Amino acid sequence: MTAPGKHSPPPPSRSRLAPTRTRTLTVIAQDPSVTLRGQPVTAQVEVPAEALGPGPCGYRVHVIDYDATADVLYPAWTPATGADADNGDPFAGASPKAAIDDPRFHQQNVYALVMRTLARFEQALGRRVSWGFYGHQLKVAPHAFAEANAFYTQRDQALLFGYFPGESGDMVYSCLSHDVVVHETTHALVDGLRGRYTDPSSPDQAAFHEGFADVVALLSVFSLREVVRALVDRRPGDEPRGAERRRRGADTLVRREDITPERLRESVLLGLAQQMGQELSRVRGQPLRRSAALRPSPAHLAATEYEVPHRRGEVLVAAMMDAFVSVWSARLQTLGDQEPGRLSRDRVAEEGADIADALLTMSIRALDYAPPVHIEFGDFLSALLTADHEIRPDDSRFRLRRHLLSSFAAYGIQPASRGGGAEKGLWAPPHAELVYERSHFESMSRSRDEVFRFVWENRAALGLYEGAYSRVLSVRPCHRVGPDGFVLREVVAECVQILTVQARELRELGVRAPRGMDPETEVRLEGGMTLVFDEYGRLKFNVQNAIDDAARQSRRLQALWDFGHFRKGASHPRRFAAIHRARALGLSRQVREEW
Amino acid sequence: MPAKSERRQPTALTLRTYRVGFGDCFLLTFHYPDEARHVLIDCGTVAFPRSHTAKGRPPMLRVVEDIRDQCGGKLHAVIVTHRHRDHLSGFKPRKDGRGPGDILKACDPDVVLQPWTEDPALAAGAAAPGSPRTPGSHQTARAFTRALSDMHRVAAAALAETKRMRADVQKNIRQQLEFLGEDNLRNDAAVRNLMTMGRRHVYAHAGSDAGLARVLPGVTVHVLGPPTLEQAGDLHRARAVDQAEFWHLQALSSAPSTRRPRALFKGALDLRTHAAPPQVRWFIPRVRNLRGESLLDLVRVLDGAMNNTSLVLLFEVGGKKLLFPGDAQIESWEYALRRAENREEVKRLLADVHVYKVGHHGSLNATPKSLWRLFRHRSPARGAGRLISLLSTLPGKHGRKERGTEVPREALLKELERHSELVSTHALRGRTLRHHLIIPL
Ligand SMILES: [Zn+2]
Ligand SMILES: [Zn+2]
Repeated sequence: MTAPGKHSPPPPSRSRLAPTRTRTLTVIAQDPSVTLRGQPVTAQVEVPAEALGPGPCGYRVHVIDYDATADVLYPAWTPATGADADNGDPFAGASPKAAIDDPRFHQQNVYALVMRTLARFEQALGRRVSWGFYGHQLKVAPHAFAEANAFYTQRDQALLFGYFPGESGDMVYSCLSHDVVVHETTHALVDGLRGRYTDPSSPDQAAFHEGFADVVALLSVFSLREVVRALVDRRPGDEPRGAERRRRGADTLVRREDITPERLRESVLLGLAQQMGQELSRVRGQPLRRSAALRPSPAHLAATEYEVPHRRGEVLVAAMMDAFVSVWSARLQTLGDQEPGRLSRDRVAEEGADIADALLTMSIRALDYAPPVHIEFGDFLSALLTADHEIRPDDSRFRLRRHLLSSFAAYGIQPASRGGGAEKGLWAPPHAELVYERSHFESMSRSRDEVFRFVWENRAALGLYEGAYSRVLSVRPCHRVGPDGFVLREVVAECVQILTVQARELRELGVRAPRGMDPETEVRLEGGMTLVFDEYGRLKFNVQNAIDDAARQSRRLQALWDFGHFRKGASHPRRFAAIHRARALGLSRQVREEW
Repeated sequence: MPAKSERRQPTALTLRTYRVGFGDCFLLTFHYPDEARHVLIDCGTVAFPRSHTAKGRPPMLRVVEDIRDQCGGKLHAVIVTHRHRDHLSGFKPRKDGRGPGDILKACDPDVVLQPWTEDPALAAGAAAPGSPRTPGSHQTARAFTRALSDMHRVAAAALAETKRMRADVQKNIRQQLEFLGEDNLRNDAAVRNLMTMGRRHVYAHAGSDAGLARVLPGVTVHVLGPPTLEQAGDLHRARAVDQAEFWHLQALSSAPSTRRPRALFKGALDLRTHAAPPQVRWFIPRVRNLRGESLLDLVRVLDGAMNNTSLVLLFEVGGKKLLFPGDAQIESWEYALRRAENREEVKRLLADVHVYKVGHHGSLNATPKSLWRLFRHRSPARGAGRLISLLSTLPGKHGRKERGTEVPREALLKELERHSELVSTHALRGRTLRHHLIIPL
């Protein structure tokens, strides 16, 4: 539903004079353990066309197939020559089994999935998206080492994928898992959009990266119609074979009793969780299984079990998946029967995939409406709702926003917006009078200095804390395309503030220092605002986490103190490696008591 | 009128803290009116202080010979808190029959006490102690002991890989990997020797009988840890299965050989013999370092899991209480202090501790603050009755100061110095072999 006419590619052309915009590449659809007639299921995905170097090495991704365990470099993917150079698929029509034995296919698979995820973000945000480091090309090592782990590392500008022997004795390659690749790429993209989200903050912020990466990975899978079509009306432990399987495959109808939210949760969510491969789940636990099985309760977030980031992230995923099945089920209830008591399977799948795709777009866009520092789940919810409302004011078709509100509430997540917006939960427009005369919007959409001039000029009205170091981190003009081709132009700017004080000075700010903290301890307070301007340069939203919000800062400091962040050297350059391992191990570390 | 044996009470206790560098070794002598009874708690090291290794007889032999002389050739009980090398390397025999382990075996202990995880019957399929009350729980216990052997394999493989590591991997990563890798290797010879020494073997868990009543009349030994999986609760039991799978997988992925594993695919460029193309040279040392860091993280996790199998023993004798928690870390204490059925009683006992063997050589999370705060004999003022803490450690071996993980942890050390009578083996000078403390009862 979000495929915009304006951005869709022209029909494929082989002419060198009119280079094509996209290239179709073969990838593994889910992971190699999902097979059809004994062969892993493959899919064709479209990525931006470009003249690739060996690797592949393109303008945003450089695949380097170095294996640190064996200390070798594997033979690199090379582009076709001649007319197909920029759009050929060396593995078109190849047998999937043979492809899996060829490292060059693995390289192509990660390249394509990373580029596709990047393109999905760029499409949703309506602009180019940078990685979270200085440089344009993300390094990707598809066989980095023999370990059941995969992670993003900002310090090394890279995604690393491990491999390990599976139960059957065959090697399991995490670089061939759609879900794992999308998850890791999402970490790299979120880091580019909101670099401060890896800073120590609240338990929510620590969990957000992980939960969001899962949300994007899962919604990407659910936006594939074929996947949803096969899962609908599946029963737990139900693995039809032979004739029964063929009969069901040919069954073009779905019974009405199978489209309740409960049944969809069981068939589609748990069904996919089961399919997602026991073995790959060990790369970082079974996020979907856990989230899909997590019953709604506002008490989860307060429980110690959900204090650790990877468990807390599951609550966010559960809320989102709950919204997905409830919107979908509600939508299906309004459809007419194909036969008495039965619906068209294609229609059911199409609606599901469309809803997943809409939620995915909304989730990615929400990042632009989220505060630059200290995100909490409630901020994300308000950002989601606002992002959707801006481009799709009429919620009557899917009632997405209403369902999101109630699903998130069921898991204890309330919108952070205190009201005043156009609908419940939306961010409110700024209420104070602002001075626009002294800044030029034309240059404000390009220049951080110009935006800062605007901010400084309006510091009282915007709630900028004067005593802190302030910096505009980014200015991003966007052209977002709505479901019916409607274009929304916005400029999004992030401004952060940093104030370093000693613990004993906190009182002057009204902030409570954690008990037991040495008064000499250096404490870094962060605050910031995301400014969203409309196409005429008027401020639409100021999404703010003020540095002098004493209550929030006190809470955060206490949480950081409890989790040992003030211990010397507590920062972790390999946070994602550690979080993913903790997930696989189900660890819940108690840091509160450390010396 | 109570029987004569029940009225027997020790009148004094001698506590010897051996200076074994990074490791634990304590010899306790309970003095009865007519005899003395000797209990050895742990005997191992991964790194002796330099002064010991300089010249003369191997230091572990000197330690063990001294133990033999002090106990007059007879040990009444041997306690091995857990299977780490720094707690049991002294039990290793030698082919010629003159190793430290041979000397200790000749001391013929009446009882050998170890945690439930060491029970050889577990591996053979027997039920875990105190279990199974719920179906499947003994498979879980078995899965757990299997995980412990997988962890040894992972440690061995990490050590082998460390030896192959290129010079561009940071030196401190390689050093820490070597240290932790060594400590987590399986110690077959020492373990077998322990199994064949002693007349009676006791494998204890939280709340179980330590089996020492007969050899130590008048002394009550409370077992506060480790909990069985049954005791640890459903959540932990489920996690134990996940963890067992995780370690199994890691063990499969790691070849404990000094030879380099084979490349995954044909046609690979061997970087031992060929230079990498210039466009990837920036990246390769980074991946090598990440691999090193990742291995180190892994070895740290398994090191902690093994530490948490430690016996936690509280000796109660003549109104004094002595706490020997081995290397138990926060997760084990979490059970004892917060989830155990008898936690209130446990806390009452702990409040009255007079002698505290500092957990895990003074690491940052083996003396939980909530435990430390319980000790009511803590005091800034010197004098009789002040808490005595025993710290057996060697700085600069484990953890890193820059990361706030150094052992012993500076903040803890300060606190121990301020509020207790600290006996640290590291403060002993020259060739001194042990610290000697007499506690009248
Ligand atoms: Zn992640
Ligand atoms: Zn130790």
